Amino acid sequence: MADISLHGISKKFGPNTALRGLDLDIKDGEFFVLLGQTGAGKTTTLRVIAGLEIPDSGSVIINGQNATKWNAAERDVALVLQQYSLYPRMTVRGNLEFPLKSRTQNFTAAEITERVDRVAATLQITKLLDRKVERLSGGEMQRVSIGRAIVRQPHVFLMDEPLSALDANLRDVLRVELKKLHNELGATFVFVTHDQVEAMSMGDKIGVLNKGKLVQVGTPSEIYAKPINTFVARSVGTPPMNLVDGTLKGNTAIWDAGKFALPLSTPKGPNGGRVRFGIRPEDVFLDQNGPATGRVFDVENHGVIKILTLDIDGVHLHATVSAQTKVQIDETLKFNWKPEKVLYFNIENGRNLGLD
Amino acid sequence: MAQIDIRNVEKFFGNLQVLKNLNLTIADGEFVVMLGQSGGGKTTALRAIAGLETVSSGKILINGNEVQDRKAADRDIAFVFQSFSLYPHMTVRENIAFPLRAIRMNAADRDKAVKEVADTLQISEHLDRKPSALSGGDMQRVAIGRALVRRPQALLMDEPLGVLDSKLREQMRAEIKRLHIARGSTSVYVTHDQIEAMSLADRIVILHDGVLQQVGPPDEVYLHPTNLFVAKFVGSPVMNVSDVRIDGATVKLNGAENGFRFPEASLAALASAKSDLTLGIRPEAVLLEHKKTKGFVEVETTNIEPLGSHDIVDVRLGETALRARTESGFVSGEGQLVWVNLDPAQAHFFDTATGLNLRGAN
Repeated sequence: MADISLHGISKKFGPNTALRGLDLDIKDGEFFVLLGQTGAGKTTTLRVIAGLEIPDSGSVIINGQNATKWNAAERDVALVLQQYSLYPRMTVRGNLEFPLKSRTQNFTAAEITERVDRVAATLQITKLLDRKVERLSGGEMQRVSIGRAIVRQPHVFLMDEPLSALDANLRDVLRVELKKLHNELGATFVFVTHDQVEAMSMGDKIGVLNKGKLVQVGTPSEIYAKPINTFVARSVGTPPMNLVDGTLKGNTAIWDAGKFALPLSTPKGPNGGRVRFGIRPEDVFLDQNGPATGRVFDVENHGVIKILTLDIDGVHLHATVSAQTKVQIDETLKFNWKPEKVLYFNIENGRNLGLD
Repeated sequence: MAQIDIRNVEKFFGNLQVLKNLNLTIADGEFVVMLGQSGGGKTTALRAIAGLETVSSGKILINGNEVQDRKAADRDIAFVFQSFSLYPHMTVRENIAFPLRAIRMNAADRDKAVKEVADTLQISEHLDRKPSALSGGDMQRVAIGRALVRRPQALLMDEPLGVLDSKLREQMRAEIKRLHIARGSTSVYVTHDQIEAMSLADRIVILHDGVLQQVGPPDEVYLHPTNLFVAKFVGSPVMNVSDVRIDGATVKLNGAENGFRFPEASLAALASAKSDLTLGIRPEAVLLEHKKTKGFVEVETTNIEPLGSHDIVDVRLGETALRARTESGFVSGEGQLVWVNLDPAQAHFFDTATGLNLRGAN
C-alpha cells in the first residue's frame, strides 16, 4: 500500500522558488505522470517524495503517516533516472544483485538469484545477465536500471524522465513495457516528463505543473478535452491547441484575425465580449465553402497525416488533414472548424469559461 | 543554378568504408534531403559534394564539370552547419558580407546584396548587432544568409535545425522551404529526423551503412519503401513487422492460428518467392472493429495510448503485437475483445533474408 499526499509543499533553492504551496494526492497503485517544462518543479517534487529534498514548508504523507522528516531509505521508494547510473564494470547480474546485497537487507543467495532471474525475465534481459554493463546499448542499460529498481520490490517507483535519452522507436517500445510492468507489479508509479506523448499514453492521471504549482490533475482524456485554462490546453496535443482571439456574437465567433465569422454551437462568455477561442488542429478542416481563409505557411508531412500551418494576418493556425490532401506552400485555402469542439477561454486570465 | 551528379563514389576512412558505390543525380533547383542514422554516410556524402572531404574513388560533377579534385572554395557551393560558425567579433552585417569581401565585390553591390538577403530572412533589424546578442534561430538565419549572399550554385545544409527547440525548428523549417521556393537554388539537406525529411524534400535519399537504400518523393518512400530498413525508418509509430506464412490466399502471422484473406492477385507475385517472408503493415492499415466482422480475427487489446487526436491500440495476435491507429476513444481499455483485419492494399511483403520489398500486394 502506498498512498502519497503532498500538502502545501514549498521549496526554494537560494533565490529561486521551485515549489509554491504544492498540493498533490497520488493513490495506491496509480500511474501518476507529472508533466511540465524545465523549471516547472517536477523533478523537485519527485525528489521531495523520494526524501532527497527536505521541503521548506508543507508535509509529505505516505500511507497516512507524516513522512516529511523520513530519510530516503525509510520511504520504501525506488528511483529511476534519465542517466543510467549503473556500475559499468559489473555484469548486469552484479548490478541487479547490488541493492539486495546491502547490509540492511537479509536475503539468502538463493533468494537473490531467484529475484534477479525473475526481474530479468520480466524485462527480457535474461540473455544479457552475464554481460558487462559498459557493453550494452542505451535501451538495454535503461532496462537494467529499471530492473535494479524493481528487484527490491518497493511500493513506490519514482521515475525522472527515464526515456528521454533513448531514440524514438525505443521510447515507443519502453513506454508500452513500463505500463505493462506497472500492471504486473501493482505498485504506485510517479513518472516525471516534459513529453506530453508520454504523459498522455502512460498516465492513469496527469498532473500538469507550472511554476512550482499544480495547475490541473485529471485523466489524459480530461486534460485533453477539458483543460482548466489555456496553459493546460496547450501542454497536451501535437501540435498544441490553436488559440484565436475574437468577439462572441450570438452563435458566431468573429475572429480578430481576418474578421472571419465562424459558427459556434454552445457559446460561453459575454455576448458581444472578447473571448479566446480554442480549437484543436484535428477539429479544423478544409472546406471550399468555409467562412475563413488562410495562406499555407508550412506543410508538415507525417505520411499518415499532414499538419498544415495556416497564416491568417500573421496569426498561425494548425490544421491536421489527411495524407492525401495536396496543398502548396503559399496557396490560399478556405477552412472551417467543428463548432461543437470549440473551447472558450477568458481572454485576461486564460480560464476555461465552459468549466465555470 | 546547378545539377549535381554523384557517380560511383566510394569513401574510406582507413579500413572503414563509409560510402559504397554511391550514384545520385540531383536536378537543378531540386531540394534533396539525405536521411539516415548517424554513421549512415549522409554527412560524408554532403561533405564530399562540398569538397570538405575527398572521395576515395568516383566522380562528382557540378553542371557537368568534374569537381572531385577541386578545393571547396572552387566549387561555388555554400554550406550551413548545425553549429552556426559565425564570427563572434563581427556584426551580423559583416558576417553576411564576409564571403563577398573575399571575392572583392565593391561596397555598393555588397551592401545591396546583404540588404536583400537580410530582408528575405527577416534579420534586417539585427544587422548592426553581434551574433552573441541573437537568439538561436536568428543566428541560424544569419548563417543561412551568409551562405546565400554569394548566390552559390548550390546550398548544402547539415542538420541546420538540430540544436533549435521544437517550436523554432518548425518555424525555421518553413522558412527554409519558402526560401528554397523563392530562390530556386539546388539544395541538399542532411537530417536524421524523418518528419523534417518528409516535410522539406522534393526527393528523400535514404542512406544506411554507406549504401543508398532508396531515392524518391516523400509519399513514395512512405507508401512504397524498397526494403525493411526504409519501411521501419520512416513513419511513427514504426511499421508493424511480423514473420508471416502464406497459405493459399490466407496470410498467417507468426504463431497465429487464424489468418487474413487477401485478394489472390495481390499475393500472386509472392508465389515464386523461395525465401521466408516478413509482413510489414503501418498502424493506420491495421483495422479494428468492435463486432464480429467477416474476414476479421478476434484478438485482445493489450495496450492503449490515448494521444488526444487519435489512439494507438495494441492487439496480440499469436506472438505478434500489432499496433493500430484508431480514432480517439475507439477502445476503452486493455483486455478487451476486438476484431482485427489488415488492409491488403497497404500491406508489404519483404524477403526476410534480404529485407527487400517483394511488391506482392502493392
